[in-house]
This record gives sequence, structure tokens and C-alpha cells, in this order.
Amino acid sequence: MISSTVTIINKLGLHARAASKLVNCASGFSAQVWISRGEREINGKSIMGVLTLAAGRGTELGLRAAGSDEAAAIATITALIEDYFGEGE
Amino acid sequence: MTLALTGHGVSRGIAIGQAHLAERNELEIGEYRILANNVDAEVSRLRDALRTAREQLELLSDRVTRSAGTAASEMIQTHILMLTDSSIGDAAEQRIRDELCNAEWALQSQLETILAEFRHMEDEYIRSRGEDVAQVIRMVQTELSKAGTDRSFDSIPDRLADTLVVTTELTPGELALLHERGVAGIVTEHGSPYSHAAILASSLGIPAVFGVRLAHSLLTEGETLILDGRLGVVYADPDDAFIEHYHEIERSTSRFRKSLDEIRRKPALTLDGEAILLQANAEREDEIRLAAELDSDGVGLYRTEFLFMRGAAPDEATQLQEYLVAIAALAGKPLTIRTLDLGADKTSEALDFSLLRSSMNPALGLRAIRLCLRDTDLFKTQLRAILRASAAGKVRCLVPMLTSVHEVRMVKTLLDEARAELQIRGQAYDPLMQLGGMIEVPAAALAIEDLGYHLDFLSIGTNDLLQYALAADRVDEQVAHLYDPLHPGVVRLLHYMFAACTETRMPVTVCGELAGDRRYTRLLLALGLRSFSMHPGRLLEVKQVILETHANRAAAALAHWLNLGAQRQDVSLLRLLDQSQK
Repeated sequence: MISSTVTIINKLGLHARAASKLVNCASGFSAQVWISRGEREINGKSIMGVLTLAAGRGTELGLRAAGSDEAAAIATITALIEDYFGEGE
Repeated sequence: MTLALTGHGVSRGIAIGQAHLAERNELEIGEYRILANNVDAEVSRLRDALRTAREQLELLSDRVTRSAGTAASEMIQTHILMLTDSSIGDAAEQRIRDELCNAEWALQSQLETILAEFRHMEDEYIRSRGEDVAQVIRMVQTELSKAGTDRSFDSIPDRLADTLVVTTELTPGELALLHERGVAGIVTEHGSPYSHAAILASSLGIPAVFGVRLAHSLLTEGETLILDGRLGVVYADPDDAFIEHYHEIERSTSRFRKSLDEIRRKPALTLDGEAILLQANAEREDEIRLAAELDSDGVGLYRTEFLFMRGAAPDEATQLQEYLVAIAALAGKPLTIRTLDLGADKTSEALDFSLLRSSMNPALGLRAIRLCLRDTDLFKTQLRAILRASAAGKVRCLVPMLTSVHEVRMVKTLLDEARAELQIRGQAYDPLMQLGGMIEVPAAALAIEDLGYHLDFLSIGTNDLLQYALAADRVDEQVAHLYDPLHPGVVRLLHYMFAACTETRMPVTVCGELAGDRRYTRLLLALGLRSFSMHPGRLLEVKQVILETHANRAAAALAHWLNLGAQRQDVSLLRLLDQSQK
């Protein structure tokens, strides 16, 4: 299992569209993916879980993945977040 | 009698038309027990309904991408993800197995659990996502009750022009269908201004008022409605004078929008085919966003003083954050960041510039780059923030109020030091970031080639340049009459500067008030200016003049005027420029 942290930098934070992209991205890996904010940890493949993180811009999130492609999962999700979810802001 | 109902105006705009009440079957969700040996059958009933609902959404998504764009389709994608989320399907299945209840009820009690969680959220936007979950679950329940086919939403007329649809609530998918059929406006009883349907209505420009309580009972099929999305009001049964009043508002706004829209899409070309760069002066995010929306060529002047006027001087990270916001709002268009331009009329409590305060004549004192070259820590912090921002987008750095080549050299030395510091820290920057200078000092204007030789681009700050050239403060009403952009000395000065820039192929922009004042647009074109930067609110009106100007003819008229000698005073330059166009 590997873990890391990442900060939400896009303007709207994990709003519905960004959350959907995140869930779609995480669902593309066979590894289990968990995302945490403070004490709270949710399944990264669940839209409801990701939305209820209510992570606005500047929120630091913990990423955790376990499975054969865990490293790729973390790297890809991190890249998506750091690319402002492809929204350019 | 006119009835006025209020709600949330979720989409600006006015609609006048006939009410159509879209009756939605309110589902009665009952609870009943199932036998233990029927559990598997009930679970597959649930799974079938989930799958059917999902297939419907996928079909809808394809369809609305074509009619309403990707934003609508992405909202539907979110609904699809919700449908497939284990907290709906798996959790409901678990309830069926544990509680031996019917699938409809299992979904309903799971919905209550999920909504309770969403209601806790502080963020209003996230809280509103509970509505999406409820809509998605209702879709599945509708499938289960087989009521899906006789919902009167499907019986809505094919063409809805001049029709205002009144409904209890609306999903984004339904809204997209109404849009396809040309609906004039929408009134709903429920739905927050943050609901997906509301966001979609706004982005599609459909006038809409949401959250009008009891709209369905208070309004009558076929009666005339006026919907005012700006005020969030729906008027039922208005009298003729009131309707005419709204028709007039509708006509004038659509005329205005149409004329602007026509220009907005046109490239900024003069009649003789000269391409003109139109950039914005902006600092607030909404100004930058407006600049991006108006198809401008980016921000030609991003002022940074506001960062220093909030209290303590901002650190590097705070500045970087602001610059990144501006870069993101511009979506790929270039951002020209001007370094701190404090002094004279703009001072900051945050900075203890005893030298500044003691100055006898602040306009001629320690200000702008002079101040920055004195407080090099402050300046280098800003240069590092700008350099780091340059790694994230197209950034140019602009230094205000240069007087001498010596100052340019000092700036370049500090910039080199800032780069070296970032390299040691391992932080990214664009090594090719352009450095430009503002020409505001008359002596610098007459030595524009000397300064330009060391810089990548120039920007002319006409406000200060004219003030210094005319020795008149335009804010001082006793001498404001002397502040005349058409003074032959000023025109000659500008003429000299643009000629020098053209000869040395130095990119030059005007970013003062003159650039955004349509009265002088033709003069600036005649002088050879091909790049303007102005308040974004002025972009379209200046563009309009550009589209109607033959630049070469204007230049010839200007040359004629400059050669008139002392007789010039009898000839209006602006009139001459206008006449040259005929």
C-alpha cells in the first residue's frame, strides 16, 4: 500500500464535475483507493463519498491506494488534481 | 388582477408567454414486506431498474451533448456516477436483504440516510448536491413503479416557443429537453439556485425562476406570465401596459446584446486589413474573466498594488496564489503583470516608506520602480512570485515608470538574482519570460529606442506621460483644461515614439485611458498603434471604431496635419481623421 498527500488548487474545489472526474479516474484502476480529509476517509471510487469531503480550494487531502497498480493510481490522481482537473482554473 | 410570485432568479433574462403546467406524478412510496424467498427477485427488480435508469441517462447524455453542450452532459455524467455508486445500489440491496422491504422503500430509506449527511455540509453548493441524489433515486423509483411511461413530462408539446413551463422541480436532463423544444422560460416550485438544473439554465441563457412556492397551484394553464429572472419574480395575468413595458425592456436588451455579439465574434481588423491586438487592464478576477469572455487577447496590464493595500506586504506565496488565479481565469491567454506601482497618489499603510512620506513632490519623487529599486527585498519577492507564475502560463513582466537605461540594467540584475534563488530552491519558472517597460517619463519617451533596446516590449502609460508632458494634473480641476491629448506637442511626442518603435520593430502597447477612449481610437491607429490595453468594459466600443477605420488613410491625414505648421490650430485633428475615412 502506498500513500501521499495532495492539495486541491482548482478554483471551485471538488465540485460535481471535478468529483466526477476524480471518481472516473480512480475507477480506472484495480487498486482500492481511499481519500481522506482530516479524520474522515472515503472510498475514492464513490461519487457520494468524494462530494461529501466538501474539499474547497486549498484543502489538503490524503491519498491511499492498495493493489497491483497502486503507484499508477496515486500518480494519475495526483496529476489530475494538480492539472486543475483539466479545467484550466 | 396581477399576481406577483417570488423565488430565486437563477438565470437572468425576461420571458413573456403562456403558462404550461407540467404535471409531474408525485410518487407514493409505500413500504411493504417481502417474503424471504422473494428477496433475490426483489434485488434483481432493483438492479433492473438501476440499469434501465442508467441506460436512459446515457442516451440522454449523448443527445444533450449535441443540443445543450458538454456542461449539460457532464451534469448527467454525475448523475450516472451516483446511480452506480455503491451507497445507492449496494446499500439498497443490503436493506432489502436485512429488512425484507420492497426495493422502492429500500431506496427511500437509503435516500434519507444520504440526505441527512448532505444536510450537515457547511458548503451550500455541496448541500445542494443532495437534490441530485434525490432526483436520481426518484428516477429509479419511477422505473420500479412502471410509471415512467405515463409521466406527463413526456406529453409536453414538441414546440414550446412563447411557453413558460411551470413544474414542481426539474432535472438537468429534463431541462435540456425543454431547451431542445425552445422553451421561453421556466418556473419551478423546488430547486435551489445551486442545483444543476439552475446552473444549466443559466449557462443556456434560459430565463428561469426557481423555488416559487405553490407555483403549480397558484398559476393557471394558458394564462399570460411575465418572468423576470433578474428580480426572481413571476407576474401572472399582467395588464397590457405592464406587458408592453416588459416588451420594451426585452427589445432593447436584445438589440444591445445583438449589436455587441456581432462585434464580439469579429476579428479586430481595420478596413485596410491591419490586425489590432485588444487586451484588457484588469486586476479583479471578474474583470479578467470578462476580458477572457470578450475574446480579448489577454491582459495587457495586471496591476498588483491592490495586493499591497490590504495590510502587511504580501509574501511570495500569497502573491503567487493571486497570479495563478489570474492565469487560470485567462484560460491560456497572456497575462502582463506590472510590478508594484506605489507612490504619488497610491500609498500603502503596509509599507513604511519614510522617504516617500517626506517627499516634497511625490509625482516627481520616489515612486514605482524607483521605490522598488530602493527596497530590493520587497521587489525581489515580487519578481520571484512573477517568475514562478510564469511556469504556470503565459506571463510577461512589466516595470512601471522607467527613466533611464541604468534602471533597466538594475532590474535585470535583480531578475537574474531571483532566477538563481529559484534554481537553488528547485522551483520552476519560464526562462524566456518577457520583460517590458512602461514609458511614462517624457525624457524616456524621447529616448524610447535606448530603453527599448534592452527590453522585450514597451507599454505607454499615457495618463502619467501626458501629465508630465503638459505639467498639468488632470485631477486638479483648476488646471484640468490643460490636459489635452490633442495638444500638438503631445501628438508629436506620441508620433515620435510610435515611429521609433515601428522602425526598430519594438512591440508597443498603449495602456492608459487614451486606449479605452473611443474618441481617440482613430488617432492612435493613425499614429501606428496596433496594440491596445483598456478596461474590459471598453473593448467592444473601441473594436467598433477599429472595424470602421481605414488605418492608412488616417495616417495620411495625420501626416498632413503635422505638416500644417502653425495653421494646425485652426484645423480639428479629430474631424480631419474622420473626413479621411470618406
